Amino acid sequence: MLGGNLVRRWLGALREDLWTARPDPLPPSTWLRWLPHGIVCLAAFGVFIGGLPQLHENGGLGFGFALLISAGQCGAMVLALWRPVPAWWLSMAAMLVGAVAVRAVMVVDGYSFTWPWTAAGIIGHLFVLLLLALRARTRVSAEALSLTVLTTYVVQGLVGAQEYQPTGVVAVVLFAVVVLLGMALRGRREARAELAQQTSLTAEERARRTLLEERSRIARELHDVVAHHMSVISIQAQVAPHLVENPPDELKENLAGIRQNALEALTELRRVLGVLRSEHPDAPEAPGTADTTGTAPHAPQPTLDRLDALVENTRAAGLTVTTEVSGTPRPLPPGVELSAYRIVQEALSNVLRHAPGASARVHLTYLPIGLRVDVFNTRPVRTPPPSQGAGHGLLGMRERVAMLDGHLTAHPLPDGGFQVGAFLPSDGPAHSAHDPAHHAHEDDTP
Amino acid sequence: MTSGPIRVLIADDQQMVRQGFTVLLNTQPDIEVIGQAVDGLDAVARVAELTPDVVLMDIRMPELGGIEATRRITGAMPDIRVLVLTTFDLDEYVYEALRAGASGFLLKDASADQLAEAVRVVAAGDALLAPGITRRLIAEFSRLDDRPRAPLKERVGGLTERETEVLALIAQGLSNAEIAQRLFVAEQTVKTHVGRILVKLGLRDRTQAAVFAYESGLVRPSGY
Repeated sequence: MLGGNLVRRWLGALREDLWTARPDPLPPSTWLRWLPHGIVCLAAFGVFIGGLPQLHENGGLGFGFALLISAGQCGAMVLALWRPVPAWWLSMAAMLVGAVAVRAVMVVDGYSFTWPWTAAGIIGHLFVLLLLALRARTRVSAEALSLTVLTTYVVQGLVGAQEYQPTGVVAVVLFAVVVLLGMALRGRREARAELAQQTSLTAEERARRTLLEERSRIARELHDVVAHHMSVISIQAQVAPHLVENPPDELKENLAGIRQNALEALTELRRVLGVLRSEHPDAPEAPGTADTTGTAPHAPQPTLDRLDALVENTRAAGLTVTTEVSGTPRPLPPGVELSAYRIVQEALSNVLRHAPGASARVHLTYLPIGLRVDVFNTRPVRTPPPSQGAGHGLLGMRERVAMLDGHLTAHPLPDGGFQVGAFLPSDGPAHSAHDPAHHAHEDDTP
Repeated sequence: MTSGPIRVLIADDQQMVRQGFTVLLNTQPDIEVIGQAVDGLDAVARVAELTPDVVLMDIRMPELGGIEATRRITGAMPDIRVLVLTTFDLDEYVYEALRAGASGFLLKDASADQLAEAVRVVAAGDALLAPGITRRLIAEFSRLDDRPRAPLKERVGGLTERETEVLALIAQGLSNAEIAQRLFVAEQTVKTHVGRILVKLGLRDRTQAAVFAYESGLVRPSGY
């Protein structure tokens, strides 16, 4: 019984470990970058080893001279890794010197030498031309190929020799193929690099636009809140004289002044809001999740009073949400309440989008100096669909928090879940203006 | 028109605003605030219970927004006039509220005199409130509005030539007296025409008539 269990568990582990097709790519290594160089050097060594006896024994050249020419061919290949054009000259010179030298000692009915290009010479020159065409401009490659062809023609076709196996045509065909291949690869690589550059440019552009949109939405909301308060002030200033019997003239004048100022402020606010709206006429009043989180366009800017309704709506959308509050709840400045509400709203909508099947927990902590908002979610049950959004969520939260001089953390949890935590000071940025040591984005809340 | 003071209900989610308007309107001898509502649903319920003459309705309220509340109230009780309050902006929501049946709109920071005057005008119903601004608002947003509409041509065709002329003048924001002057007829005659137009087109007041005139294309938003 126990033994059977053990075997089953062992088999299970074995199956888990070995019966799998998990991708496990090789980690990128700096050594790997030198692989092409290694291959070229190895080939160069082969060219040297093969070319030397051919020139010395079959070609009838002296050992020292053959060594020099072989070293030139082999050196040209290695040099082509760094300086392809001089390497091409070197390879051409080695071929020419070799061909002329072999021709001089060539005898009728002797050994039929591969001429003017030796096999080793062709291989070496193929490498040089490929490396050249991969990097140099198309015109340079074409010029190098043309001169190679011309030289071959002059040596074999015009000058000629007595007894040889002609290699000119084969060599020229192979060279042309290699140069075309190199040109094509180079063209493709450049096109791709250009595309990558453009893509990164548009991505940057999009990120910047997203940020600006987010900022102006936040600005719109806050101006909205301010304007609302201003209009209440203007009403109250008007009402106040009616609340006392025979108000003194000074009081009436003073209140009229307050009302006048509020009206002027409202005029300015309308202007600012007009600008903010015309910048993004399509931007919705509430974030894109309005349908699931219950902020109709006709509703006032939300405060934490509306949090229960938000959570209720999120539950209706199929997410298990629990809420906890620590500390003593108290009314906070409207900007803080609005931001806290929006952060919870964004975080919950992120959970809905990116962690299907997870459950979420919202924790508000009222601290003497501000409010801490935490939204946790458990590990998603299913893999989330690929993200489509332009990243408004976390970006918007960050902007809101930075504006209030608070700080935001967002990170995965060890159990596979995710946590978004924000601290919003209740006295706003003015506080830290007096105290430069205390700044946003510092480690943790007290 | 009405005997006794104009009975007003105030619907706004902010207590300061409700109290403020109550105090300001109650200083007027011919206006009496008979109740307050804290959101759209509450407003619909209190209107059914108290049947005020005029409802001051905030557009942005929790639970049920002012536009939907306006639609429900004017749909159920055509005699009740709704005056929409907007915090600080004349936008498409205000136009939406007019389409939903509101008789006019007012900025919340309006002075006490403007407020009282607006209530009187809306209750009497023989002139457009803030004619210039209303006309511009309707003109601007009716142009942007591309929702499908009922076949309007025949309905305009149901009007006599004179009535069509009067409708166009209403849409330009003219009062009965001004229309009478323009057409060289007695004000009473104009009143009769206006009454016929509203009955024939199934509209509740001049504001709706103005919206209709723009939306049916009878009046073109010109010079705007």
